Amino acid sequence: MDFLRGIFQLHIPILDDVKAKGVKATLRAKFDDVVTRVTAGLGPADVRAVLRDDPPGRPNPRLKPHAEGFWLHMKPTYYHNMVDGLYPTFRLGWLSTFFFAFEIITGVFLMVFYTPSPLVAYENMRNILSNVPFGSLMRDLHKLGAELMVAIVALHMLRTFITGSYKKPRQFTWATGVVLLFVTLILSFSGYLLPWDQLSLWAVTIGASMVEAIPPEVVGRTVNLIVRGAPEFGANGLLRFYLLHVIGLPLVGIVALGVHYYKVILHGHSLPPGAEDVGVDTAKRVPMESRVYFMPQILTRELWYVSGLTALLVLVCAFIYNAPVLEAHADPLITPLHITSPWYFLWLQGMLKIGDKVIWGLLIPGALTGVLLMLPYFEVGPSRRYGDRRIGLSAAAVSVAGLAILSFMGSPWYKVTSSPDQEAVAALMPQTHPGPLREANWDELTFGTYYAGDWASAPTPTLRSLLHLFADHLAGVESPERQGVAAYMIVEDWQTDLKKITLRVTWTQADGTPYEFSQSAYLHRSHNGEAGSQPAAPAPTAGAAPIGTPAATVSAPVGSATVPAGMPATATPTPGAGG
Amino acid sequence: MKWQVALGGLSLGLLTVVVGWIALNESNRMAGADRAYQAQAIETGALEFETLCRTCHGPQGKGTPLAPALNAADLFNGSRLQAVSYPGTVEDYVRSTISSGRPVPSAGTNYPNRMPTWSSRFGGPLRDDQIDALVAFIMNWQDRALAEAAATPALPPGSTVGTDITQALPAGNADNGKSLAEGVFGCAACHILSTVGPAWMPAAGTPGIGARADARIADPAYAGAAHTAEQYLLESIVDPNVYVVSGFTSGVMPANFADRVTPQDAADLIAYMLTLK
Repeated sequence: MDFLRGIFQLHIPILDDVKAKGVKATLRAKFDDVVTRVTAGLGPADVRAVLRDDPPGRPNPRLKPHAEGFWLHMKPTYYHNMVDGLYPTFRLGWLSTFFFAFEIITGVFLMVFYTPSPLVAYENMRNILSNVPFGSLMRDLHKLGAELMVAIVALHMLRTFITGSYKKPRQFTWATGVVLLFVTLILSFSGYLLPWDQLSLWAVTIGASMVEAIPPEVVGRTVNLIVRGAPEFGANGLLRFYLLHVIGLPLVGIVALGVHYYKVILHGHSLPPGAEDVGVDTAKRVPMESRVYFMPQILTRELWYVSGLTALLVLVCAFIYNAPVLEAHADPLITPLHITSPWYFLWLQGMLKIGDKVIWGLLIPGALTGVLLMLPYFEVGPSRRYGDRRIGLSAAAVSVAGLAILSFMGSPWYKVTSSPDQEAVAALMPQTHPGPLREANWDELTFGTYYAGDWASAPTPTLRSLLHLFADHLAGVESPERQGVAAYMIVEDWQTDLKKITLRVTWTQADGTPYEFSQSAYLHRSHNGEAGSQPAAPAPTAGAAPIGTPAATVSAPVGSATVPAGMPATATPTPGAGG
Repeated sequence: MKWQVALGGLSLGLLTVVVGWIALNESNRMAGADRAYQAQAIETGALEFETLCRTCHGPQGKGTPLAPALNAADLFNGSRLQAVSYPGTVEDYVRSTISSGRPVPSAGTNYPNRMPTWSSRFGGPLRDDQIDALVAFIMNWQDRALAEAAATPALPPGSTVGTDITQALPAGNADNGKSLAEGVFGCAACHILSTVGPAWMPAAGTPGIGARADARIADPAYAGAAHTAEQYLLESIVDPNVYVVSGFTSGVMPANFADRVTPQDAADLIAYMLTLK
């Protein structure tokens, strides 16, 4: 042995310990050493004490992972017991971070199966939903997480404003928070485009078309080209939004989050306004009796929150929530009726309905963002107490109410723009979501022609409810200019398992010319995934012909268009004779 | 703190149970999503057909003077594919026809206009997924087209030519015979476009079938009952196995043309064959 050692200079240190202390003692010491290194300062005995919630002893070894380890280096070692409960923070900041991490994890799963090209994006989405195990769950979780994150981040901002936690010395924390709000909104907006269906393309087109309005024209055009990569959304735009969504904004978000959270720890989490004297910030100096230590109390609580929230989100997605059904493939030539932007931009759409695009779409939102960003630098009143901030709190209440009103104004219910006949048909066959007809019981749509006014005598409950809905919406069609309104629903057997549903509204204009508007949709038995097929039967000839005037006798094409819903090719309104 | 640990553990357990439950239902759900996707493709295809294809192919795909029927058994039972020796499936045939259109008329047809090219890959207006939707819609006619053909009664007795090769046939139209041979009866598949059966067309040194008919009757090996070229050609159609030219196998040519061909059809075919000298 010595001879070999001499030649190879072999020296195994652990063998020295084994020689000195024996195997058992050596292994125990090694184990202690490994545990202390992995936990950055806690030996096995300390870990046991943490798990048993024993008092730590002095000096407190549980501070070492914070001081010496990477993972806990920004986490505070203790919290003030006034801010560790659900009130006053509702843990919204923690929840925002949780959802950020949640979205990254679910997003990475989805990234494996998605390519950001208009040629395959839609098909990739279909593949995720029908060929990837848990694909639908991942998509639902990602979508739910996104919606909740926007809401939670907004609520967090509202809470921070209400408790005046943006005041000195936390002004820059607030500013980074506004940046994070912006990042969250654009993350959600950019992700909205990725499925590349009609809803995605057009909802994002509405929002992105704002940048074209930047004056002067050359700036607006250039910024539009930078944002969309082309005058309209296409391959370039999808790629840019994808890159923004998966790397650009997450990087900005992580940096901003780092600064934001570091400053929270640096200054200490702000106490409830009533707990301190006016103008005094004692958050950093937490007296011993008010301390709640991270290990084990806060750590346990956070771990419980993570597991509880994950279980809750998965439960909700499994039974209650589903991401919106994919609409038709994105088509730059067809704009769905009543398309809206995502709910968190409805207020912007509402503002656009008020007046000029530049003023209401750019200048005012820009000014509001500026005010929000600079708020702590001009709102320098020393007191955080609710009683001393009535103006600020009222302003917050007015802003929230204003956003709600503007959001309603941005929705399709405000200031209906298309004609009442189209609205009546769109009530049954909407172009932005499935709607009553597509969700109806397929088997109960019996073949025949049904007059909407006679809805009560329709043969099946499904037909009765659909025709009743149709008839209700037709009330708006009748007017001094439009008389003799009649509406029909025609159900025809078109192919194996395929029915053609036509909705037709006819009326006579004041000058006596007959008009009609009709729209047809095809419904397959399995369009919601049901199995089973009726046996092949020859197409019936009876009961399928529309009653009354064939389209050929209806003159005057204005206001009359036979446009199948979701038409993939150019939809030019045909004269009545075309049918 | 203990209750937090307990609830956290319970949540993990609940999560496992829910994920397990989802896993059990996942293959059914995915199959349903697949069905929904196929169904929606058919619906989209139906809309596209209504706008783009109906004017020429008819609202139920039954054809017009402008374009052939798609809702037809001979598309789905492979007859049309066989007529052009197409090697792929019916779906491939439909997809390639829609994608590239018909810039050149198909053999044996005489439609007034050419079919447009539809796929954006070849300069047309439709994306790949739109073409797929149209294909799905057209393929959905398969069940009914085949069922209709099966339910269609055979020609009433007395209306087909039968096996009497001495009967008098009406005057034949060679052009019509040509389109019958290249179309619905599929003669061209074996006798013109391939060498499964004796070639009709004249080739180097060998005359066409119109000229060969007389020679065949005079051949000592001839085992049939025909005395004229017209009778020989009729016998070749309605009773093909009574005499098979050497070098070719008996039992390959369909033996039921006697029940499928009317006297006028037979006269037209014979007139056409006689022009191939």
